Order: sequence, then structure tokens, then C-alpha cells
Amino acid sequence: MYRKILLFLLLIVCCLLTVNIAHAQTPTTQDKSDQIRDQLITNIASRVAQLKLVEKRGIIGVVTNVTNTQITVTDSQNNTRFIDVDELTKFSDPDTSGTFGISDITNNTTVGILGLYNKESRRILARFVSVISNPIIIQGGISAIDSNDYTFNVATENGKQIAVDVENLTRTYSFTQKTDYIKSGFSKIKENYNVIVVGVPDKKNKDTLIATRIIFFPEIPSSPKVNSTLEKTQK
Amino acid sequence: MKKEQLILSFVAVLFGLLVAGIAFYFLQTAKTIPDANTKTASITSPTPTISPSITLTLDQPRDEEVVSNKVLVVSGKTQSNAVVTVIADSASDVITPSTDGSFSTTVNLDNGQNVLEVISIAPNGESITIKKTVTYSQEDF
Repeated sequence: MYRKILLFLLLIVCCLLTVNIAHAQTPTTQDKSDQIRDQLITNIASRVAQLKLVEKRGIIGVVTNVTNTQITVTDSQNNTRFIDVDELTKFSDPDTSGTFGISDITNNTTVGILGLYNKESRRILARFVSVISNPIIIQGGISAIDSNDYTFNVATENGKQIAVDVENLTRTYSFTQKTDYIKSGFSKIKENYNVIVVGVPDKKNKDTLIATRIIFFPEIPSSPKVNSTLEKTQK
Repeated sequence: MKKEQLILSFVAVLFGLLVAGIAFYFLQTAKTIPDANTKTASITSPTPTISPSITLTLDQPRDEEVVSNKVLVVSGKTQSNAVVTVIADSASDVITPSTDGSFSTTVNLDNGQNVLEVISIAPNGESITIKKTVTYSQEDF
């Protein structure tokens, strides 16, 4: 009985060895071309994967930390973003005439970053970093108008009251279903109109916005939320 | 090894497993949790947040997109009777959507990063805003 089992096992081992020897034979020309093809396919696939992993992206953020190789910013969605910087990264600031580098970037500066975003690491390798100042956009209802000072107040849905200063350079537009989107003037603005103001903060008065563009909607009243917050503040 | 011995060993192992299984079953069923160790949890339903009745979705552009064309197409969908305002850094446009609520317009971009704000305002004054950052650049890197 044991002899039979031993013979059977020996037979299996012999079969396996024969199969291995057959596979270990010298590769033919066909095998070589197959190997080259497989290698090419692997290389192309890895390159495609690499290209898909990285894409160009541009973001705006407020600097929270700067080191020699990294800038940490908070973007418009309030997310913390890590920006890698190398010797190819170019820095610029429109207000600086001389050379500008990473050492000139300070916390709380708003920067625009253009670079390569890695989808895996979620980091951006910056190619261009520039200091920028973006306009502020507010939307709400007109709560008060001062025709003498060319100012008006905008009540927003989050309960804020923002004073808007209208300058000579301010472009004013209105929109109605009948007239469509047309140029207008300060005198046409009335209380409770829905309004969008694009402007920059007044350096003298932080609560005031100097308007560069005003778009008001005579046919659309203030948001019900604006009215309710106004009532609450009046009480 | 004799055949009888092998069978006996096998039967003994089976019997041992059976006895151990029965013992474990009785141990588990006899367990009681003292009142001091029990806790009652009350589940309160969360207060629903009031979302605006107006909706807005943007098909184009994508956030943080880098484009090489100064003229940017902005398209999306909102309430059909709303008014859509598209504001870029130095240009803006106001449009009304079609009957199915879809809208499309173009705005000119400045060099570098542009903040694009799309505001949809309903006839009752309610509004919804979507903000996107779009970069105009022809740099090759």
C-alpha cells in the first residue's frame, strides 16, 4: 500500500519537473517580440496613469503659513490647501517693482496659485504664485439711500448692513424683463430693490464698500430673509 | 497504527468537541446583564434646516479650471422664472433662463485667477450663489 502511494507521489513530482523544464526552454523570436510588446504596453499605461493623476489647476487662497518649500493657504471654500514650491516656481506682486520671492509672502496675503495638482496627494506644485486683490461681491436689499452723499445701505441675508459708496467711476446697471440689462444711474435706485454690488473695501472706513459695479433689479424685492433680519434689528 | 485505534481517536475528538459546544451554549444562555450596566439611549430627530426654495447648478465651468480662451462659457440650470447674474472680475451679464430653467452665457476673463460668481434670484427675492475660481493662462508647464 505505502509503496503504491510513494510511487504515485514520485510520478506527480516527475510530471511537474517535466512541465517546468519545458517552460524554461530558450525563448524564440516570437517570445522576444511578445516581451517587448508587453513592456511597451506597461510603459504606456504607466505614463497615461501619470498624466491622468496630474492636472493644471488655479486657486485663490489666503496665506496661513509659509516655509521655504511650502505655502499653506485657506481657499474660498475654507479648505486648507498645501502648495509645494520649487526652483521653477515664479513669484510676482503687481505692487512690487523689484524682485519678489517666497520670502516676501506673508500671512493673511491673498494669493493666486497656478500649478500642477496631484489627485493622489491632493497637493499643488506651484508654477506661478502672484499676490492678488479680488473685488468683494455683495447681494441683498437696499435698506436706506442717502442721495446727498451718493451712498446707500445694503441689508444682506446674513443680517449684515453694508454701506455702499457710489463714485464717479461706478458703473450702474438695471435689469427688468421689459428693458433687459441696461446702463442706469444712481437716481434710479429705490429702497427695497434687490441689488448686487461689486466693489473694494474703503481703506478709511472698513464698513464701507466703494462700488465699482452696481446691478439693481426694480422688479425684484428684497429677499424675505433680508426683511425678517431687518425687522429683528429694528425691534 | 491500527484501524481501531484511529477510529477511537476520531470518535473521542468528536465527543470532546460536542461536550465543549454544549458547555459553551449553556454558559452563554445563563449570562445576565445587571441593571447597573444597562444604559438607555434616546434618539431625537434632528431639526430640519430650511433650505432656499430656489436651486442652481452649474455645468460649466469647473471650479479651479485653467482655460486658454479669454471667453468663458457659463451654463447651468435654475428655476425657470429666476434671473441669473454672472459676475466676473471685470465683466458681468444678466440673463433669464429658458422654460426648462437652463441658461448659458459668455463672460470675458482677465489674466490669471478670476472669481466667477453666479447668482440666481427668484421673483420673491430669494437667491442662491455659486462661486468658482477660473484661471486664464496660456503658459505651458
